[in-house]
Amino acid sequence: MSCKKFKILLSAYLDQEITQDEEKKLLNHLKTCLDCARELKYLKQMKRVFLLKERKEPQEFFETRLFARIKNKGKQPIRRVYFPVFRKSILVILIFFLLIVGLVNYKKFFYPRPTEVISDLLIDTQLEENFEEELLEIYYGPLG
Amino acid sequence: MEEDFELLAKFKKGDQQAFELLVRKYKTTVFNTIYSIMGNAQEADDTAQEVFLKVYTKADSFKGESSFSTWLYRITINRCVDELRRRKNKIISYETEFNQEEKLKLKDVLASKERDITEELRKNELQDIIQKAINSLPEKYRIIITLKEMEGLSYIEISQIMKISLAKVKIWLFRARQKLKGKLAFLYSQGE
Repeated sequence: MSCKKFKILLSAYLDQEITQDEEKKLLNHLKTCLDCARELKYLKQMKRVFLLKERKEPQEFFETRLFARIKNKGKQPIRRVYFPVFRKSILVILIFFLLIVGLVNYKKFFYPRPTEVISDLLIDTQLEENFEEELLEIYYGPLG
Repeated sequence: MEEDFELLAKFKKGDQQAFELLVRKYKTTVFNTIYSIMGNAQEADDTAQEVFLKVYTKADSFKGESSFSTWLYRITINRCVDELRRRKNKIISYETEFNQEEKLKLKDVLASKERDITEELRKNELQDIIQKAINSLPEKYRIIITLKEMEGLSYIEISQIMKISLAKVKIWLFRARQKLKGKLAFLYSQGE
């Protein structure tokens, strides 16, 4: 077994979470490996650091504040409670809608409609001039 | 454990006092777990309230497949993860580097005798130093080291709470300690 594996075992050994067989192998290894023995010393030191950490109490009137919040929560409008339930459905509908829009535009892109060709003709300046002349003839009689 | 199940069963039937007893029993555990992971007492207090609110509203979803405390720890950890991610988006971070004074203080305390340690424990600075070391860890290692070192849970309990394999518990604790070792290297620099 490599030193790295023994170091992982050391961490578990410190927590008394290794099997008897693993412990036996580890203790034998520690007799000959100075590096791992030093590592065990470090880990024990670290464990001691955490033992120095004291437990704190939550702020004053924890229960009173909590029960006030519970009471207020009961008074909240129903829509706020149910909105997250619909959120997923809205998302699914939105994705579906975008897919349909994408599909329609995809067809338009590859198969352009003939109306676009007609609209091209309409912006022909010559045609526009003829159209204006025809209009003038209708209102004022033949020109010239 | 049986007592917790009984209290929860009573609460599900509408006994508010049973819920109050559960809160009284676990409020310090929940608060300290959150405080250790988040590193801020005010945030820990708010989040602990959120956790008990969730227990209040979701009590029916607890089927008794694990112990009540495991379920409560899981809610607590999930809430912490949500808060840490929200904090990440807001770019709030706490200082994790030790200054020279803090290094010397921790070293002195570790070198002192038991009765001196008890005196030192009363001082807030030492608590801040230890918290800073935990804050320096990435999210998952902060959680696992809290559950092991602060809460003293077994590997099996940790694996159930974090929903990871026992092998992963071993590896993550090993890596968390390696990272902490780097952070607390000044402790080992002299007098080996």
